[in-house]
Amino acid sequence: MTNEKPNRGVFDAVVIANKQIRQRFYRLGLEFSGDGAAAFAKAKPGQFAELDLSCIALPAIEGIAEDLRDAAGRKILLRRPFSFCDVSSQKERTRVDILYCVVGPATLRMTTLSVGNSVSVIGPLGNGFRVPEGKKTALLVIGGMGAGPLIHLAKVLTTNYPDIEVIVFAGAKTKWELPFEKPLDEISQQVGFSLHEFAKYGVESLVATDDGSAGYEGLITDCFSKWLGQRSISAKDTIIYSCGPEEMLARMARIAEERGIDCQVSMERQMACGIGVCQSCAVECKVEGSNETIYKLCCEDGPVFDSRKVAFKL
Amino acid sequence: MTETVDISVDFAGLKLANPVFVASGTCGYADELADFTDLNQLGGFITKSITLKPRKGNATPRIVETDSGMLNAIGLANIGLDAFIQEKLSILEKLTCAVFVSVAGETIDDYVAVVQRLATEQAIAGFELNISCPNVAKGGISFGTEPAQVTEITSAVKKAAGEKVLMVKLSPCVTDISVIARAAVEGGADALSLINTFTAMVIDIETRKPVLANRTGGLSGPAIKPVAVYLVNKVYNEVTPLLASGKRQGGGIPILGIGGIRTASDAIEFIIAGASAIAVGTANFIEPGCAVKIIEGIKKYCVRKEIKSIKELIGSLEQGQIDSP
Repeated sequence: MTNEKPNRGVFDAVVIANKQIRQRFYRLGLEFSGDGAAAFAKAKPGQFAELDLSCIALPAIEGIAEDLRDAAGRKILLRRPFSFCDVSSQKERTRVDILYCVVGPATLRMTTLSVGNSVSVIGPLGNGFRVPEGKKTALLVIGGMGAGPLIHLAKVLTTNYPDIEVIVFAGAKTKWELPFEKPLDEISQQVGFSLHEFAKYGVESLVATDDGSAGYEGLITDCFSKWLGQRSISAKDTIIYSCGPEEMLARMARIAEERGIDCQVSMERQMACGIGVCQSCAVECKVEGSNETIYKLCCEDGPVFDSRKVAFKL
Repeated sequence: MTETVDISVDFAGLKLANPVFVASGTCGYADELADFTDLNQLGGFITKSITLKPRKGNATPRIVETDSGMLNAIGLANIGLDAFIQEKLSILEKLTCAVFVSVAGETIDDYVAVVQRLATEQAIAGFELNISCPNVAKGGISFGTEPAQVTEITSAVKKAAGEKVLMVKLSPCVTDISVIARAAVEGGADALSLINTFTAMVIDIETRKPVLANRTGGLSGPAIKPVAVYLVNKVYNEVTPLLASGKRQGGGIPILGIGGIRTASDAIEFIIAGASAIAVGTANFIEPGCAVKIIEGIKKYCVRKEIKSIKELIGSLEQGQIDSP
């Protein structure tokens, strides 16, 4: 055994914040010390961690939305994977923030975590977003809960790559499904500083909602295409980073391919282990120079993939 | 204090440091778990099933969580025999616990070909014959449900296995598991592992489609544990005495108990029911160090119950009172 600190492992984290942002969106703050702090200090945007929520209490029944009550009582078994919306290190401690949405029995349990509680975390796992040499513009395209890792990426890009211009495009079905904290009434159809989560890094953003309740009315991918059409950007100097529903990622892959722009997509799959053992999280990928496809693992080969390599089904 | 307890077991001629294995398909080929747990502390390790040719596996979704359990339909995705030999054997050679290679196939010849190629490898203590995988169209469970076929495939593979231990993994999806167990013993099995998963289905009521791309999957996890304990006990009672002629404890064909084991007390239930060793499966996904923790828990139990050797515990189930009407 060497004294080298492990890059990943099973660690206990302490809850230092668990704040409701709006409706079903929450932000959980976890603090790691010791080897966990060292491992997570190196966590990259797009990587993820597996949280064991099986022993966390449910909220009282009146605190459970009616549509979740049937599922709430189900005894959960597997860990749940989450990406990070922020990672910060100070001295011997690392804080990791997770943006989550209450959708079922595990995330429902997560809402009852309070400051001081301990959570078992496996991570950091998978491969994050990569920043190729020579890029001048990074376009971050978000669908709903895909915001988490791209908030983290915006911070890392503006901190470590000051020469890269970063612009964010965030979409959801309605303004209520945008996982952002500040009131969304001032969101316009123009690029501006309306999303606080990005404005604080000096990053401009543009919002779209399918129903037009905030920003551009329509799909974020249409909004993005339109914006791209109005700009004369150099494809080779630009990179797209995207996270959101698979249908949206498939559209992003097509837009990127048509324009010859590099694009990295963060994929989502059901996972049992997150460490390459269970083989559950297969992502169908193209094989170069052939019509064959192979399965890569979302947890170990991804979750971030080059969009040209994924065999999307639209 | 716990050091004085002997938890070593004899398993089909193998001397194991303890009775704790990790089950096939839940621990990869060992390298995946290297960052998370020390596999050398275990009694045994069973690889993900290997087939003669690589298999791509099923489309997704491949898993779905259920109450205290999960369904999987991976479809025996694996790198195939050649890549296994080139890439994985050297990793397995470093393990000091007993390494079993799980073998699957579509025909008896497939199984024999894999076992023949690996039968002389030093790193391998034995083979686990996967004739009970519910997630592939051909082979798999279809071999494991017909007694005559079980005997045929077991005896063909036994010949190819040479000196290595041959363990046959049984499906619970049969009318009488003891019939299949006897068929495996007749074919020359040195050990039995039970149980594999239950074929099961989850339906999305919005779309009226099965959730899994494969439609059905194998149910595993704590949900199946009581059934697994019962079936281990049944096979222990009904199959073991056939060989051991009166001598049951520690004698006869050894059973590797599998099914929803998550804690030391789960493991001990299986041992009392008749398992000589146990394997942790689904719980590895949640806690990669689970099996190692179970070893410590078994020692503590033995100390508390003043059991000097774990061998005393195997098949030690007391006969309960059955009130006649």
